[in-house]
Order: sequence, then structure tokens, then C-alpha cells
Amino acid sequence: MSDNSLKKNFEVRYDMLLNAIPSSVLMVDRKLQVLSVNDNFLLKSQRSKENTVGRPLAEVFPMVILQSTGIEESIRNVFRSGSAIKGQKMTYRAPGVPLRIYYYSILPIPNDQVMLIMEDVTEQVRLSEEVRRVERHLASVVESASDIVLSTDTEGRILTWNSAAEKLSGLSVQEVHGRYFYDLCDANQKQVVRLIFQRMKTSNEPHTTEFHLLTPSKGGSILISWVFSPMLDDYGKAVGTVVVGRDLAERRKLELQLRQSQKLTALGVMAGGIAHEIRNPLAVCSSSAQFLLENNITVEFHKECARKIQANIQKASAIIENLLRFARSSLDTEMGEVDLVTVLNETIELVANQAKVQKIQIQLTLQKTIILVSGVSGLLQQVFMNIFLNAINAMPNGGVLSITVNMVEDRVIVRISDTGVGIPAGDLDKIFDPFHTSSPVGQGTGLGLSICYSIIRQHLGSIQAESRYGQGATIIVTLPLL
Amino acid sequence: MNTPILIVDDEPDMCWVISQIIQSQGLNVVTAYSGEDACFKLANGDFSVVFLDAKLPDMDGLEVARRASTMINNRPRVVLVSGYHYQDDPVVRHAIDDGIICSFLAKPFTNEELLKILNSLLPTDR
Repeated sequence: MSDNSLKKNFEVRYDMLLNAIPSSVLMVDRKLQVLSVNDNFLLKSQRSKENTVGRPLAEVFPMVILQSTGIEESIRNVFRSGSAIKGQKMTYRAPGVPLRIYYYSILPIPNDQVMLIMEDVTEQVRLSEEVRRVERHLASVVESASDIVLSTDTEGRILTWNSAAEKLSGLSVQEVHGRYFYDLCDANQKQVVRLIFQRMKTSNEPHTTEFHLLTPSKGGSILISWVFSPMLDDYGKAVGTVVVGRDLAERRKLELQLRQSQKLTALGVMAGGIAHEIRNPLAVCSSSAQFLLENNITVEFHKECARKIQANIQKASAIIENLLRFARSSLDTEMGEVDLVTVLNETIELVANQAKVQKIQIQLTLQKTIILVSGVSGLLQQVFMNIFLNAINAMPNGGVLSITVNMVEDRVIVRISDTGVGIPAGDLDKIFDPFHTSSPVGQGTGLGLSICYSIIRQHLGSIQAESRYGQGATIIVTLPLL
Repeated sequence: MNTPILIVDDEPDMCWVISQIIQSQGLNVVTAYSGEDACFKLANGDFSVVFLDAKLPDMDGLEVARRASTMINNRPRVVLVSGYHYQDDPVVRHAIDDGIICSFLAKPFTNEELLKILNSLLPTDR
């Protein structure tokens, strides 16, 4: 093979090699003239080989790029120092082609040349900008939410904390970052919240609960409804927890109003029974007073009349007191130690008149005489009052209202059964919905059992109904024992 | 010998008051504290007048009156005594129109009111 054909052969291979590189490649000499170029560059720059090879760099690249990148000076530096310059950014718009973005390197090559390699990263840059845009959007969604949104690691240490969380708690993200979330909870909730985080490590299910969040700067706490959700990676492994919380103050206010209006409805129902019950002691007092006015009565009879008057005034007063207590009790909302048996007995006393009027027998079956739960006695009384009155309304022609109280492990279960018309199967799962009512228009708000539901949930209990149409209904209230 | 008067009320003090008023007239009384007790005593005794509470724990007072009105012999005259109904209550008027009760006495009452009703119902030959 001749020298010429060898050289030719070498040039072909050299071009093949250059063209195989999936980046734009230019070889440049010390005078900054292009010695050779690959197809990739020609394609991207929309130039021909003829007006590129042998031309100065200043002709091949637009002036604006040369000025903004200072690429000529960089090439001179590489010639001077003999060391490569890597990973510089260049945006290049060839005529009639959308803007492209390149990373370029200048590599020294023996025989007084440098290699300019330009890698097109337009797509990668576009993607990462898209990712950043989505990230910014998500961040602003979280930041703009009026609910608390925070994230923690698997141990419950706070990683992110949105503006709503800052606003409601009064704690800045700097103050809480890295702290255990349960340290910001009410003291008696810490252990419970710690356990929720433990559960999130292995659970796929969100966990819903309510507890107070401390607001140290305002010197108190606020009641929040929380949803804990496990944050999973691509392999389904828990990497943290997302916690969303909603301030319950507004909802509580509305619930309070609903409870008060429900109470007024109940008072209306009770009025009939109470009239009867108060007129009995009044009649005894009235007649006894008339006996006292008679002339020839014995000392013993005189005393007896006075005793009857006193006892019956007390009886009437007790009926009024119960009524007042029921009407006012919702103002008291502090949770405390409550004896469920006392609550049940007092509530039975309140509806006893109405039950008697409708010839309904009330039976109470207890396992123990004192059953302690944590709660607000006025609210629990309202729940049972509502269930009892519903049962009484279901038995217009008399019947039996039976209440059985059982303790199973750490819970107390109260079953309230009537022998009334029962609940149609289709209505059974609707009876706790707000505004569901079977009463004619104008009677019953349809809010009763939904209020019961919210009160019992606030007490961390549950409420269910069982019934067969025509065979009475049973409402089952379950509460955690203290 | 006068036939006794039956007093039906689940409140013992109420029975005591009515008993005292009636006994002051030299009449005998028998008391019953429930509807069932009243029906049993009505079936097994002879009463001229019954003072009957409208609301008893086991049955409605009017139901007791209805049963009494079906008695063939010695049918007693029934006075409904109640704090639940009022004088011109439709339920009361119907019961009087149907002859189930003879009179109505609202609680609380004066002793004279009760005696006036009692005297109007007692047989004149006593």
C-alpha cells in the first residue's frame, strides 16, 4: 500500500471515528482555525463542511456566542497550560433551529490542536427545569394550603412545615426543623402520637385522629383534626410520614350551635312529660295546704301535711333542676373523669316522664355500679338523651326501652334497644348522616344522630345501629374505659 | 254501709291527699298504684266512684276507665284526675261524650272541687 493510500485510509477512519461521536466535535489549531469537524456539529449548526473546515472560529460561531462564552480565550488558555477545560455551558441558536443548550469541553491534543466537544443537553435541561417547575408548583400548593401540612422522617422528626403550620402554631420552620413532632403535642398525647409514627413504618393505611397542638407563643393549644399518611418510596418502603391537620375551632363552633338547637328540640319533646310530673307534687302541696287551713286537725296530721308539702316542693324542684342542668350542660366542654352509670341514670330520669306518658317501660342492666370513662358528662348525657328520645318516639303505642351496659376488655359497650318499628335496611347506614330524618317535615331536624356521632367520636368511641324493620332497633355506643 | 271509693295513682302522696279529702267525709277508700292493680280491684270489688290518674306506668288511665265501663254489675262512675290533660282537652271531651268517664279533675285542684264532683256522683240515698 502506498503512503498516499495509507494516508487516505487513515483519513477515512479518522472521519468515521469523529462522526461516530454523538456530540459536536471541532479540532482547532493555535490560530483558532477549524482543522476538522464532525457531521454532528454540521447538522446542529446548519453549516456545510466547506465553509467550516479551514475557517477561523470567529466565522464558524456567531459573534454573540464567542463574546458571551469567551471561548477563544479559553482555547488559548488550553494551548498555554496544556490542561483541559471541562463542563462549560453554552446556548446556541443556529439559523432556523430552536435554541439548543450545550456543555462543552476543550481538550488539548498533541500536535498543536485542541478538541472542542459540545454535548447537546437541551433535553436534560428542559426536563430538569420542568422538574423544578413542578417542584415549585407543589411547594406553593403546600404553602398556600390553609391546612397544616408537614412531613417527617420515619422517627417523626420534622422535615418540612408549611406556612399554615407556622401561622397556627406560632412556631417557625427553623424552630421545629429536626424536632420530634410529638414534642409539639399535648403532654398526655405524646405517647399516643409516638405510637402512630411507629405504626406508619409498617402500615399502608392513613391514620385519622384529633388532638391538641401546643402553641407556646400564644401560651395554649389548639384542637386539630389530623391525618397521618405513610410516605413510601418507589419500592413501597416507608421513608417518612406526611401529616395534614385542620383547625377544628370553626367546626367546633358550628357543632356547638347544632348541639344547642338539638337540645332545644329535646326540651320541647320533654315538656309534655314534665308538665305532668310537676303538677303531681303541686297537687299534693295544694291539697295539703288546704288541710292545714282546716280548724280541728291533730298535731300529728298538721306535721304530716307540712312534711308532704316540703317533700313535694323538693320533688318539683329536682325535676326543674335536671331540666336546667340538661339545658345548660353544653357550655362545659372540659374532658374529665365521668361515671357513665350516673350519666345514664340522670338521663333516664329526664325521659322517664315522657316514657310513662307513652307507657314505655325502661330497663337498665348494669354489670357494675360505677363505670369510669374520660369525657364531658353533659355531652354524653345529650347523646343518650337523643338515643332514648328516638327510641321513645319509635314506640308510640308503648313498649320496652332496654339499656344494657357491658365491659369488654378496655371498652364499655352500651346497647340501647327499643321494641318499636325499627329502621328499614336501606336507612341503616344513613341514620348518622346529617339531615337524614324519618320524621315528617317540621318534626325533627335530622341532625340528632349525626351530632351523637360527632360527640362519641370526640370521646374516641364509636356508635352503630342494628335493626330489623318491624322488630325494633338497637343503638350501640362503645367508649374507651378510663 | 257505704261502698268504698277507689283511688288509682302511681304517686303514693297523691293517693294520700285524695284519701284524706274523701275520708274527711266519712267514706271508705281503697288505693291502687298501677293500672293492673286497679283492674284487679275493680273486678273483685264493688266501688261507687273511681278517682283515676290519666297516666299510669303500665297502662293509660282511660284504658282502665274503658274496662270499667264494660262491667255489667256495679258499674262505677269514673273521675279522670290528671296534670297531663286540661279541662277542654279533646281527649277528655271525647271520653265524657262516650260515657267512659263522668268527670275530669285537673291537677292541682282545690279540695272543694274534688268534693263537689264526688258529691255529684254519689248515690243520693246514702
